Amino acid sequence: MKMTPEMIRAQENMKPGVITAEGFLGHDDRNIIDIIIADEIEMEKLGLHFSEVAERMKEILKFGEKGLGELVSYEHFLIKVDEARGFLPCPFQDGVYRKKVVYVKNNANNENLMFSVLSIHLIEKHHFLQGKGSKFRLEPFKIKKVLFEK
Amino acid sequence: MNLLLAPLIVSLISSLLASLIVIVDSIVNNYGEVNININNGKKILKVKGGSPLLFTLASQGIFVPSACGGKGSCGACKVKVLTDVGEYLPTELPFMSKDEIKENIRLACQIKVKKDLNIVLPEKLFNVKKYKGKVISLKNITHDIKEVKIQLSDKIYFKAGQYIQVVIPPYGKIKQSTQRAYSIASPPSKNTEIELLVRLVPDGIATTYIHTILNVGDELEIIGPFGDFYLRDTNAEMICVAGGSGVAPIKSILIDMFEKGITDRNVWYFFGAQSEKDLFYLELFRNFEMKWKNFRFIPVLSKPQEPDKWDGEVGLVTEVMARYLETIIDKSLPKEGYLCGSPGMINACESLMRKFGIDKVYYDKFA
Repeated sequence: MKMTPEMIRAQENMKPGVITAEGFLGHDDRNIIDIIIADEIEMEKLGLHFSEVAERMKEILKFGEKGLGELVSYEHFLIKVDEARGFLPCPFQDGVYRKKVVYVKNNANNENLMFSVLSIHLIEKHHFLQGKGSKFRLEPFKIKKVLFEK
Repeated sequence: MNLLLAPLIVSLISSLLASLIVIVDSIVNNYGEVNININNGKKILKVKGGSPLLFTLASQGIFVPSACGGKGSCGACKVKVLTDVGEYLPTELPFMSKDEIKENIRLACQIKVKKDLNIVLPEKLFNVKKYKGKVISLKNITHDIKEVKIQLSDKIYFKAGQYIQVVIPPYGKIKQSTQRAYSIASPPSKNTEIELLVRLVPDGIATTYIHTILNVGDELEIIGPFGDFYLRDTNAEMICVAGGSGVAPIKSILIDMFEKGITDRNVWYFFGAQSEKDLFYLELFRNFEMKWKNFRFIPVLSKPQEPDKWDGEVGLVTEVMARYLETIIDKSLPKEGYLCGSPGMINACESLMRKFGIDKVYYDKFA
């Protein structure tokens, strides 16, 4: 699949040290369009929809924020939201997001996930789960286990 | 023969075109010398045009606060520009309120100096300087917070509660230097040595450097001081709330008050943490309690690891503060709030304080 100029610019912004220390691509050497397409196929196989995943993440974030940086329980989840000073721009250059990191544990299966406010935007608007090996990579099977299993 | 000539001709044409672009660029983008008039003639700078306003001012020793070092991602370097410098860029708009747009507030890192400019800056920025420093101590005070002590080449004059920016040099795969803001945890009396508290942020460029690369003896540049979070000169009772790295400016303010003998004010300090392992400087604050009769230190744990052994407060720091304001703290005395932490924590504390009639709330929001 052809990379548009916007995609090429976004991929440059995803390199280590441009926005975050390790970047968004991990050890994945595919173009972001190939990463997105492969993840779209994987998500569909698992019956996951990007918009529903983003909504679930927002819901967890909202309850986690009530803990003011401490652990809180919500449904069968244990959630902690940490916030650091400043903002992170989206590598696709369509917004800036607070540096909020959500740690969520599903008490029903003891599976964990870490995502940021920027991760929610990347999923919702760009279908981008980050490259393999990236610190904030969200594997579709893990999303299903942590966010949707009871 | 033609096969050999064709690449040579293509190379020659490419070289000529590249040279032409360089020449045209130097003519079209040569803005020459321009004047920056600051605060209606209080300072006039003659500078070379063509660079972003943020860097142009910095080259003249005027440092506008910027937590990202000019990458357009923090929105901190706001400057009022009286000259028309064109439409707002898409990179500026997410950081601007409607009022700021009406006032012609711009991001100094995003607008280029192409012609004479009239701008307005807070005069306190004229006291901001760049300092060279050497790391003299690095200590892990919790599992994710490091205390960093930096010896400075010159004296720094700041108010307790203010912050500085640390210039993080390129390292590893990070090719550009970057800047991040940290509150000063030490008191102004120590004006050649500053102390910072830095919490590790997952994948953070600056905090990863400070936690994993920085060593004692390394040199660092800092810029400052900045900020409007400092002790107000009143007799009001102080309600302070901070935990984690938010402790830094509160610690500076409290030590400063103690050193200056400002111990006639009532101070209530609520330190919020998850468990015992997240508490630190307990000895310092307990020591204040012993020597400073109007100082109360209230550590609050949301999930004590050993609930049987913990004899302090349990719950969210906001809940405990509300209970104290309702039942323990004298309602008749005027009060001020001093907060440092995440926007969520500050918003929650501020709205609670206002419910209890505290309308003077000062804070250093991590924003």
